Parts: sequence; structure tokens; C-alpha cells
Amino acid sequence: MLAVAIAEQLPVQQAREGNPEAWDTLFRRYQLPLYVYVFELAHNEHTSLDIVQEVFIAAARHIGGLRDDEKFGGWLFGIAHQKVIQLWRKHGGKEILFDEIPESADEFEDSPDDLLIRREQEIEFMNLLNQLPLPQRSVLLLHFVEDFSLEEIARITETQIGTVKSRLHYAKRALRKLLEEKK
Amino acid sequence: MKTPREILFAHHQNAAPKLDAMRCEVVAGLNHQDTKARSGAVNLVSWCLGGSNKLWLELIWPCRRIWAGLAAIWILIFTVNLSQRDPSEMMAQKTPPSPEMILTFRQQEMLLAELTGQNEPQTAEHPKTFSPRPSSERSIETLMT
Repeated sequence: MLAVAIAEQLPVQQAREGNPEAWDTLFRRYQLPLYVYVFELAHNEHTSLDIVQEVFIAAARHIGGLRDDEKFGGWLFGIAHQKVIQLWRKHGGKEILFDEIPESADEFEDSPDDLLIRREQEIEFMNLLNQLPLPQRSVLLLHFVEDFSLEEIARITETQIGTVKSRLHYAKRALRKLLEEKK
Repeated sequence: MKTPREILFAHHQNAAPKLDAMRCEVVAGLNHQDTKARSGAVNLVSWCLGGSNKLWLELIWPCRRIWAGLAAIWILIFTVNLSQRDPSEMMAQKTPPSPEMILTFRQQEMLLAELTGQNEPQTAEHPKTFSPRPSSERSIETLMT
């Protein structure tokens, strides 16, 4: 079981009260997952650092808009996702926000651990991840990095659960196929 | 064998120092905002204290003898006023008019009535002035009337 799947005691309430130490704890917890998510979509170190910083500032400013403290992680990734979409739009990447895949994925592997990669395949995995269409990559990263549920991914990416399910299914299948081809 | 999460995190581990620096910067910004908000109240108090200190140093302390003299005069006036007012009020409340004074007053009144031509004994119709005193004194008055 992943560490992120275990219920965490995060000082969200203290952060709401304006405690800087609580914010430090929260940012420390999410800085690398957020950076990984943003970098794998933006592919630019400087831009990714800027976006993560903007996410932190926006979170501190708009924490009042968060209804459920337990959804803090998803809320933070939602802000990051919106920032990445803004970046895509700024660079005229409208067409890559949508993919055409049927919304029927009956078989869905629930755990991100079902895909285990050998040491010699690690670089290959990173390259293959970048070959996936952006919407599929986004969903797959949210699944891998934070083990978000389908509902949470749907909320973060502002899409239907069925769409998330099918994107995840096709992304995983494509990744597995590519890895098998490379063996 | 590694999970995709482990691979992704290991791949971006070199960004950790930059992320730490960025996080510290953001938290320092939050700290600064917090300090600014807190220092608002402190500033108000220190402004009031500073203002009163300035007032003391510039207005009162250079002319302290004059201020002290004025204060002493006011205290003296107040004390004298209190000491003079109290006995007079008490005297006015405690001493009733003497029978001789009443008698003189009645005589003058009768004289005035004679002079103006009103000889009728109207004085008898005048309402009696109330003067609280012992009953022994009342009998003397009755005799004199």
C-alpha cells in the first residue's frame, strides 16, 4: 500500500488560521508531487517552479474556498491543473486538451502499484510517459503521484468520471504495451 | 522493481533544493503578512504612547513650574470654595427666623397698609408663614399678637 493512501494528519485547520508553520508543513508535503505533475506536463523547469510557487500563493490566499480539509491535496492539484491549462492556452495548445477516446473502460486496475517497472526500464518509462497525449498523461500522473480516486481526478481535471476512467485505462494499456514492445 | 511513483520522484529529486528555497520564500512572505497584521495593533499603541511622550516632553516638561503653579492655584480655589460654601448652607438650613424678626416684618406691613389707605384689617387674612419651632415659643407669639 502506498504511503499517500494512508490518511494523513495535515495541519490544514492551523493553516486556515494563518499559521506559517502549518503552511510550511503543507507545502513541504506537496512541493515535490506538485512539481512532478507540473513538470511532466509543462516540460520546463523554470516554468514548473513558477507554477508551483503560484499554486502555493493562491492556496494561502484562497484557503477559505476549501470546504473539506481532507480534500486539501486534491484542491491544491486542482489549482495546479488550472495553471497548466492556462499555460497551454497561452501557447495555443487548445487542441491537445481534448482526446478522442471512447468512454467505455470496463476493466480498470485500481492501484498504481499494479504497474511495476524494472530498473533497466526506468528511463524508457519516462520517455513513454511523455509520448502519451496530454489528457491521458495528466490523469495517469494524478493516479501515480498521489493515488487519487477517480472522483478526485475528475474533480481536479473538471471532467466526467467516465472520461477519467477511460483515459486512465487507455493510458495504462498504452504504457504497458510500449513497455512490452521494448523488452 | 519500482512503482511509477518512485521512479517519478527519483527522477525529479534534484529539484528538491530549489523547491525548498521557493517554499521558504513563500512562507517568509506569509510570515511577513502575519507580522504586518499583528504589528498594526502594536503600532497603534506605540503611536499613542509616542504621542503622549512627545506631549509630555514638548508641552508640559519645559513649563513644569507654571503647570505646577496653575495646578496649586486651582486646588486652592477649589478648597476655599468648598470650605466657604458648606457652613453658609448649613446655617441657612438650621436657623429659623426669630419671633422678633417676624414681629418687625408684620409691623412694617401694617404701616405700609395704613400709608396706602387700606385700613381694613387685611393682615388677619394673610396666610401664616410656617416656622417650625418648639411649642413653648408659639405661646409667646400668641400673647404678643
